[in-house]
Amino acid sequence: MRKKIGLLLAVLLICSVIVGVPGKQSTVRAQDDGPQYAGLDKDLSGITIRFAGIGGQPYEAMYDSFKVFEEATGAKVEIVFLGDGFEIDRYLKQNYAAGTVDFDVAWNHTSFTAQYVDFVEDMRQYFTEEELAPFSPAILDAATIDGKLTLIPRHADISAMHYRTDLFGNADYQAQFESEYGYPLAPPTTIAEMYDMAEFFTNVTKDTDSPVYGTQFAGKEEALAGRFYELLVANGGNYFNEDWEPIFDNEAGVATAQWMRDLYENGYIPPDTPNNIWPEVAQNFCDGKVAFYLEWYGWYSYFQDPNSCAVAGKFGLTRGPVGTAGDVHTGWAGAHAFSIPKDAENKEAAAQLIKFLTSERVAYEESQLGLLAVRGDVWGRLIAEAGASEDPLAVPRLELAQQQIAEDFFTPPLFADWISFTDLWFPTLQSIMLGDVSVEEGLAQAVEETTGLMEDLGYYD
Amino acid sequence: MLSLLTERFSSGVFVIMNAFTQVMGIIWRLLPFGYLWNLVPYDRRRTIFPLLLIVPTVIIILMVVLYPLGYSVYVSFTPLNMLRYEKTFHFEQSTMWRNYERLKDDEIFIRSLKNTILFLAVTVNTEFVLGLLLSQLMARVTWGQGLLRTILMIPMMFAPVLVGFQFAWFFNASVGLVNNAMTSLGLMQLNDPKPWLVDKPTGMIALMIASIWMNVPIMTIILLAGTLSLPNELYEAAEVDGAGFLNQFRHITLPLLRPFILIALTIRSLDVSRAYDIVRIMTNGGPAHRTEMIWTYAGRMAIRSNRYGMASAISMAGVILGILFTLYLFRQLVKSRVVY
Repeated sequence: MRKKIGLLLAVLLICSVIVGVPGKQSTVRAQDDGPQYAGLDKDLSGITIRFAGIGGQPYEAMYDSFKVFEEATGAKVEIVFLGDGFEIDRYLKQNYAAGTVDFDVAWNHTSFTAQYVDFVEDMRQYFTEEELAPFSPAILDAATIDGKLTLIPRHADISAMHYRTDLFGNADYQAQFESEYGYPLAPPTTIAEMYDMAEFFTNVTKDTDSPVYGTQFAGKEEALAGRFYELLVANGGNYFNEDWEPIFDNEAGVATAQWMRDLYENGYIPPDTPNNIWPEVAQNFCDGKVAFYLEWYGWYSYFQDPNSCAVAGKFGLTRGPVGTAGDVHTGWAGAHAFSIPKDAENKEAAAQLIKFLTSERVAYEESQLGLLAVRGDVWGRLIAEAGASEDPLAVPRLELAQQQIAEDFFTPPLFADWISFTDLWFPTLQSIMLGDVSVEEGLAQAVEETTGLMEDLGYYD
Repeated sequence: MLSLLTERFSSGVFVIMNAFTQVMGIIWRLLPFGYLWNLVPYDRRRTIFPLLLIVPTVIIILMVVLYPLGYSVYVSFTPLNMLRYEKTFHFEQSTMWRNYERLKDDEIFIRSLKNTILFLAVTVNTEFVLGLLLSQLMARVTWGQGLLRTILMIPMMFAPVLVGFQFAWFFNASVGLVNNAMTSLGLMQLNDPKPWLVDKPTGMIALMIASIWMNVPIMTIILLAGTLSLPNELYEAAEVDGAGFLNQFRHITLPLLRPFILIALTIRSLDVSRAYDIVRIMTNGGPAHRTEMIWTYAGRMAIRSNRYGMASAISMAGVILGILFTLYLFRQLVKSRVVY
């Protein structure tokens, strides 16, 4: 009996050696042709990596994968802070400024990264060119400040035109629009068309059972300043010149501000727009209260859920419009990312964790949730798989997003004081929209205030 | 003032406290206190001893109030930006007044100052009138006064932030209670909702309503306590003289309640002059600075924009406003302490 047991054990041992011990390696190795993890090739036993990241439902799913990293490397990942974008930004800034950094991996974002540039490591020290190759070059360029790569991107977001197919496809509306405006009704491709169609849909549905506002946008804080910015760029303008002098009171600035003001004044956007931010505008579209607008891709799965949204299955996506500049599409975009603080205790281990979190497999799994990938290898896989989906928008949506990220992606001006500037500017833009000041007065006032801000911050020293 | 500065204040305070303890320890060991105390003339000991007893209190007040205040005044003369601490935290005589000069011509600051005073005047006075009315009615309740008092105090049990969220929802244009009620009653079209928190002057009015709803009970409770403590003899004498309710109220209740009224007004004025929480949640001073108050302006300038120098200068205006109100109301309080 003892012999038999011994023989059985010996056979089991041999089998396990041949097949591979179930445990670390098998959990970290994906199917051979599937997306692969990275950053698991070093033994980090006994090391605790402290993590300060962005919180919120779509972002936190990724953190479940920490256990895979912990099992494979022996490291322990300790989350020291999770908060929304503005909370984590505040947390990081306070710790960087006060010299009290208590984390090894920090959240970052292309719109915010210029603030942190003096406090984070150059990621090229930790990533080889080969490891960086799959990431979007446009994003890496946008995150490179004075030759320093300040972050490794995690996922990106850019706005696409979301439009109601039931309204745009309505034959009566099509005929009426063409007779009134002289061109066919189709998802707007220019900023001028957006105005016409906003006017049309607001008026034509006014006395129906389901009135809609033509369009909308988030009406306060950085959200408003950012939306203005992409329209300004599409109209051939910009916030600053090369010497960081504010120049948005020029012709493009006046046209953009006037466009926003006219939409509000004439009631083509919701009257509470100045109090609305991302969730409110998304809810308006979800409830079927808006005909079309520019929105981030991140809301897609929510909009397509018939249990939560009236527009499920009744909307389409198209590229952002061009403005008077002719060939420039709106494309204010950003990418969530990770950095290593200069004051981090375990930089090498932090780099390993970032390699893991931005690896093909984690990025692929995260993109299944609707977030836009920043790695070319993940895009190829996603588009191939979307072909089998029953959702008719699955492939066009991904192709459109990939095209926008490749061709239309631009960040806000990369300076440390973007948020300070937007805080100064957005209330004046609201004043213009609400008619408290004229467009020219408001822009002149904003430019003067911005000059004062930039003076204080030493941009002209 | 703000978390980062507080951190620096507290670390400064800690350093001072630590140094103080060390120095006191050395002095304690080196100096023969008993011997020194015996050197003090006997007739002066009674004067010096109470002063020695309050020394720790004075030191603590210096550390937790005057040091941060002094630091904040100092910061207000610099262009301090927390992301450029080394570069911007410097005092230069030529530019020391720059923040204040800007404030002088800053329309938003002037507006926030006006809004704060308007908010203060309207809410405190309305709360006073309603509180006085309710206190007089409740003083006459003969049965269930305890239950009524408890019900009355319910709004005080909510955190101001929650009250802010609640009223922000009430006045929301799309899904708010007010607009829904008005639509149901046929007073408003579905496709033409009223943006209460956006329009002038309804944004300010909405903030005032939220603040009044929350704070009338405290005013009522103070005035009710005052009313119940008034001597009955005066009312009995007045009734014998044929004085009606209004005359009794005017000539007995109001003069005798004056100290209570002034205490209630002082507490509420100080509270309202630093209005932040409800405003932060409901409108955050917007849109277009229409509901901007001093503290929302200072808060945004510091926390969001990192401009601590400018924010400290704005805060000084808030502090001065608070001090002026306190001085005025305390003077009135002293005047009201007339012995009948």
